[in-house]
Amino acid sequence: MGMKGKLLAVLAGVAIVTGIAVTAASGAKQADPGITATSIKIGGTFPLTGFASTYKIIPTAENAYFQYINDKGGINGRKIDFKIVDDAYDPSKTVPLTQQLVEQEKVFAVYGSLGTAPNLAVWDYLNKRKVPHVLLATGDSYWGFSYKKYPWTIGFQPDYPGEAKIYGKYINANLPSAKIGVIYQNDAFGKNYLAGLRVGLGAQKSKIVSTQPFDIGTPSVQQQILALKASGADTLVIFATPTQAIPALVLAAKTGWNPESIFLSNVAAVGTFVKIAAASGANVNGMISAGWLNDVSVPSLADTAGGKLGKDILAKYAPTLDPTNSLTFYGLADAWTMVYALQNAGKTPTRAGLMRALRTMDPTKAKNPFLWPGVTLQTKLQGDNFPIEQVILVRWGGGAAGTWAPIGKVQDKVR
Amino acid sequence: MRSLPLGRLLVIGVAAVALALLPFQLSGFHQTQAARVALYFVAILGLNILTGYTGQISIGHGAFMAIGGYTTVLLSIHQHLNLILTLPVSVAVTFAAGILVGIPALRLSGVYLALATFALAVSVPQFPLKFSKFLGGSNGLRTTDTPSYIWLYGVSWACAAIGFVLAWLLLRGRIGRAFRAIRDSEVAAASSGVALPIYKTFAFGVSAAYAGVAGSLLVLVTNGYVQPGLFGLLLSLQILIGAAVAGLGSLYGVLVGAVFIALLPTVAADVPVIGSAHGQDVVFGLIVILVMILLPNGFVGLLARLDRLFKTAIKSDPKTS
Repeated sequence: MGMKGKLLAVLAGVAIVTGIAVTAASGAKQADPGITATSIKIGGTFPLTGFASTYKIIPTAENAYFQYINDKGGINGRKIDFKIVDDAYDPSKTVPLTQQLVEQEKVFAVYGSLGTAPNLAVWDYLNKRKVPHVLLATGDSYWGFSYKKYPWTIGFQPDYPGEAKIYGKYINANLPSAKIGVIYQNDAFGKNYLAGLRVGLGAQKSKIVSTQPFDIGTPSVQQQILALKASGADTLVIFATPTQAIPALVLAAKTGWNPESIFLSNVAAVGTFVKIAAASGANVNGMISAGWLNDVSVPSLADTAGGKLGKDILAKYAPTLDPTNSLTFYGLADAWTMVYALQNAGKTPTRAGLMRALRTMDPTKAKNPFLWPGVTLQTKLQGDNFPIEQVILVRWGGGAAGTWAPIGKVQDKVR
Repeated sequence: MRSLPLGRLLVIGVAAVALALLPFQLSGFHQTQAARVALYFVAILGLNILTGYTGQISIGHGAFMAIGGYTTVLLSIHQHLNLILTLPVSVAVTFAAGILVGIPALRLSGVYLALATFALAVSVPQFPLKFSKFLGGSNGLRTTDTPSYIWLYGVSWACAAIGFVLAWLLLRGRIGRAFRAIRDSEVAAASSGVALPIYKTFAFGVSAAYAGVAGSLLVLVTNGYVQPGLFGLLLSLQILIGAAVAGLGSLYGVLVGAVFIALLPTVAADVPVIGSAHGQDVVFGLIVILVMILLPNGFVGLLARLDRLFKTAIKSDPKTS
């Protein structure tokens, strides 16, 4: 064996040993994964970096709420240990990171993971392994409708088609001669919204004169806005995340198009972002969206007990976050629901117990203080797997210094 | 690489035994991690045949991986084909795709070829968005069944072993000589009777076929779920980075390149900054710059250097002479 050969052999050996060492398995076995006498380990994937990184506020606020609960003694003496991992909204990263959470970190549940495509990528895997996949930060209706085939998965927020249906009904009642132009994200998220709008419009769906899809991660939506303007639409409907919704609003104004009415999907209707759009020249007064969180930027909600509690928790545990950005209350509301479910998942929480708690939420008991007053948590073991099914329409007023104000009352059964 | 010296044979033997015994030591998660190493090994091997041995650069191998990956999923959904049988089909389809790309690429060289393949990497993932009824759009498609961990481990490493042996057989003989002649000087190769068009398109086809299998395996490791984001531009670049780290024009360094790109995302997950998904992109970029400056011949170049150092040290030591 030549010197070079020996050297190769040694280095190959080193490489293999390093590989094994790096990937060495922890041998510990537990009856209840993630549960010890003093802790409950949960984890989720979130876009901490990349084009969707504005949403990293959500896990930060969730962790703030868990710290608050831990300081109050935890859940039956167990502290919540929340692992936040970064998948950059890329499903090919979500898969190994989620496997790592389940098989290496041995989490009790995958909680709060953000985004439709990332969650679709691990949907099968988690259900096959019977790992709770809960309170996901995505409003697609899959999670609620497929509970028979995927009993370990449950969503959280009102689903997109239901919200869009309400816009359709509102247009029929208030804007009889509307010519609607829709810009939507070209995936299940945007298409579900569009389908909901058509259902809401019902027989009057021919009011939609143009629909313009854009692909996620696209650099500019100018082309779509110009096409909508050229179609003669007088009502602009935006089914997008803030990344494209805010530029769409600004571009509409810059191209000299002033639609009489604008509807903005709830996921983009964060006051902070609307203010940015207004400051960049967008005409946002009178724009309509839907709310369901206890949004402390809305004057009538600023002094509710839940609003105050949320602000106090954020000030103490996540001082860098701005409580008037409603993504913070998204995180608080989602984390509150997780804590409620864990408290009701048995003295020593079990995975099946957690799912049962999430599937049997009674609105008279599960009073989430971080939701818009009147919006409740409700699920039923058979038939209702959508935790939140109410929204309230809101209208923007006051330009760059403005806020949302409610239109009418909380609407039930949006689905 | 005319013949296999005993030393190398021994290394390969040790590696094979280690790989066969490894699954008994590994948890399911680590088996899939090992399968990732294998699939990147195959992809880098394929790129190395094209870029390292034939001198044709490609920044577009993610596109061939996409074609392979979608082939597997479509066959599973529509033909209910056993997953393992989709792999040879994937090879055939991507070989054909590689030949088709190789023909126009004949007229291009150097930076122009790089740009053309770059365009390929950008454009292919757009097809599923355009034909979303058939190809699933940005929400993707999934295979009808998903393989077990041990299946992934075994099949991936079997593919890696077969791919390695075939590459070795291909490159040690007449074809390999022709490839290297083209890399060193196209004019000299042509004037010595090497049919440039045939060898260059063939190299493209073979290389694409390797990428195709790797793409199929990547989809299977991702729980059988495919969507265009899986084959972004970054993937193409990672394969190229893996090949550069390994050392272009060598088969032995490939494993190091594969370990590097397969394991960085999960191993680094706990490290601040680097652990974030985009922090890793920066790390990849830095590594390329460092490799280019410090190790222009990659890992294999480092071995050769150490080897020389060793020999001079032994020669200057009077006791051993």
